[in-house]
Amino acid sequence: MVRFGSQNLNPMVGNRDHRPQQPLFGGGRSSSSTSLAPPTSWASTTSVSASGKRIQREMTEFNLDPPSDCSAGPKGDNLYHWFATIFGPPGTPYEGGIFFLDIIFPSDYPFNPPKVVFKTRIYHCNVDSSGNVSLDILKDSWSPALTIAKVLIAVKSIFTNPNPYDPNAPGVAHLYLADRAKHDEIAAEWTLRFAK
Amino acid sequence: MFLSVRRPIFSLLRFFPQFFRRFVSLPFSRSLSMADSKMLDDVDSDDIPHAFLCCVCLDLLYKPIVLSCGHISCFWCVHKSMNGFRESHCPICRRPYYHFPTICEMLHLLILKMYPMAYKRRQNQTLEEERKLGLFSPQYDSLACGSRAGEKMEHLEDSANGEMNANTKNDNVVAELILEENSEVVRSASVEILNSLGDLHGQKTQNQETVTVADVLCRACTQLLLRPVVLNCGHAFCESCINLRVETLECQVCQSLQPRGFPNVCLELDQFLKEQLPEEYKLRSDSVQLKLAETFKHESPTSCSSEGGMKGQGLPRWDEVASKVHPAVGCDSCGMYPIIGDRYKCEDCFEEVGFDLCGECYNTRSKRPGRFNQQHRPEHKFKLVFPTMFSTMRSRIVTEIMLEEGSTTFIIANDEGSESSEDMGAILELSSDARESEENDSDVDVRTQTNSNDSRTDRNMSRPT
Repeated sequence: MVRFGSQNLNPMVGNRDHRPQQPLFGGGRSSSSTSLAPPTSWASTTSVSASGKRIQREMTEFNLDPPSDCSAGPKGDNLYHWFATIFGPPGTPYEGGIFFLDIIFPSDYPFNPPKVVFKTRIYHCNVDSSGNVSLDILKDSWSPALTIAKVLIAVKSIFTNPNPYDPNAPGVAHLYLADRAKHDEIAAEWTLRFAK
Repeated sequence: MFLSVRRPIFSLLRFFPQFFRRFVSLPFSRSLSMADSKMLDDVDSDDIPHAFLCCVCLDLLYKPIVLSCGHISCFWCVHKSMNGFRESHCPICRRPYYHFPTICEMLHLLILKMYPMAYKRRQNQTLEEERKLGLFSPQYDSLACGSRAGEKMEHLEDSANGEMNANTKNDNVVAELILEENSEVVRSASVEILNSLGDLHGQKTQNQETVTVADVLCRACTQLLLRPVVLNCGHAFCESCINLRVETLECQVCQSLQPRGFPNVCLELDQFLKEQLPEEYKLRSDSVQLKLAETFKHESPTSCSSEGGMKGQGLPRWDEVASKVHPAVGCDSCGMYPIIGDRYKCEDCFEEVGFDLCGECYNTRSKRPGRFNQQHRPEHKFKLVFPTMFSTMRSRIVTEIMLEEGSTTFIIANDEGSESSEDMGAILELSSDARESEENDSDVDVRTQTNSNDSRTDRNMSRPT
């Protein structure tokens, strides 16, 4: 019960009644997993056009007023698959690096968070070796009012303020807490090796 | 490969962010220009004030709902962002709420009046989606609205819409459209039709701008809304008109009770009114302040007791109510979603969504229509439904979570060593038999105490002893 209570369950859209049980379980499962598999198991009631329109609007807004040191846009023709870059902020060991990210929108966006994956290797306690980011707003704390611009700002903030208490790479988090100088040194080295 | 080619370009260009941006954004926008024109063939959202943009779909509000925190969103945006299993949170401020509010009719008509074209476009979009879904939001025909202004605007906007099409489509289509919409000009020649259209269009552009006090009245004092508060039932009042009612907050129009807590002022609407009708707003706020000062003089101690009283009833704790939840089922009267406690299901409503009431609404014999246009009638019969599904579902979800994550946290306390995931499944499936077997089998060393031979052999095989 405790575990269930702590899970952020999806809003079961339109599932007021009479629906087969399958979508309910599907919804529960996919929200509970932290893997980046696209949520496919339940019938989405958000039509593709509605989410597409929203993404389109976000893109126009993003192009008008992009956050500093960030860029993002669809990869090719697929609106649901974006490609973003973030410049390592100055004053951090990631300074001078260019980090590429993949953003995959679920079909019921914005009611479920987009998946954000680092494509550039980075030495960071909140990013695991396959690039998954542990960021609360991309999981339980997602709100439909958040946009990609806000997500990128949040991702940028973990460069300056890593959160070693919710790590995706426990070894890095441990080093960050134990020996900050060494951690910064390795992070800068990785930035030089992979992100330049 | 892809990265190695691009990287030198990026590293060169990152010192010229402006150029870089253009470089990056141009290919994207070009590749989408087709989709662009198809999707955003609508009016620019630039001329719509921020107050009337939905934070979820980033478009003009359609069938607006005001949450108890005072934030506005579209009907479908609110419904889709609600959580069918537990309390929902406002997308903007994350204030928890349990009830799906009714559409604010006043705001609906106001936006329809101000942006008839964009609103019509939204209506068409939404209808298309609703058709796909087979589930419709409440329809407001002009009769139900009870306002002639709304009806008139419908006419205007339809004909204006027709005129828009005239630019792209042939004249026949336009003529047909107008024949349908404007009965007065049906018999006229097409030239006259076009002339009258021009007139109507002129009227429309005039009307589009003017918001009169009549559009934004408090349902209690029938004056301009001052610091508007929208209740769960969708009726708007001045904050001062509501604040005086003590104890349970009841809508003065439809007598429905406001569930849990005093709603916040809808600040966006308040700001809009302040800007649109500055003089009237000023007059009204002065008079209300005067009145408040007077009441304060007479009966000062009770002035703010209502708010304190309402805030006392907090949201129930999740652990306490978890067993009484009907997941993904909402009450069609008060909007509680999910229903917690008794659930009465209409047996005669044939719609797929069904018609359900929570215990309280069932007992008060609420006569409000369904939230999704159900053809529910008062003589329909109800059946009490128990939330049995939930407990089974919960245990299944827990199982699935455990199987997926391979977590070892849920294993019985006296266990040491690792468990295979099949074992965990066996524990849960046979947990009902566990007590029985405990009596028969007092050997503590046998770990999960299941009385199934199959699972035991499995376990013994997997255990590396």
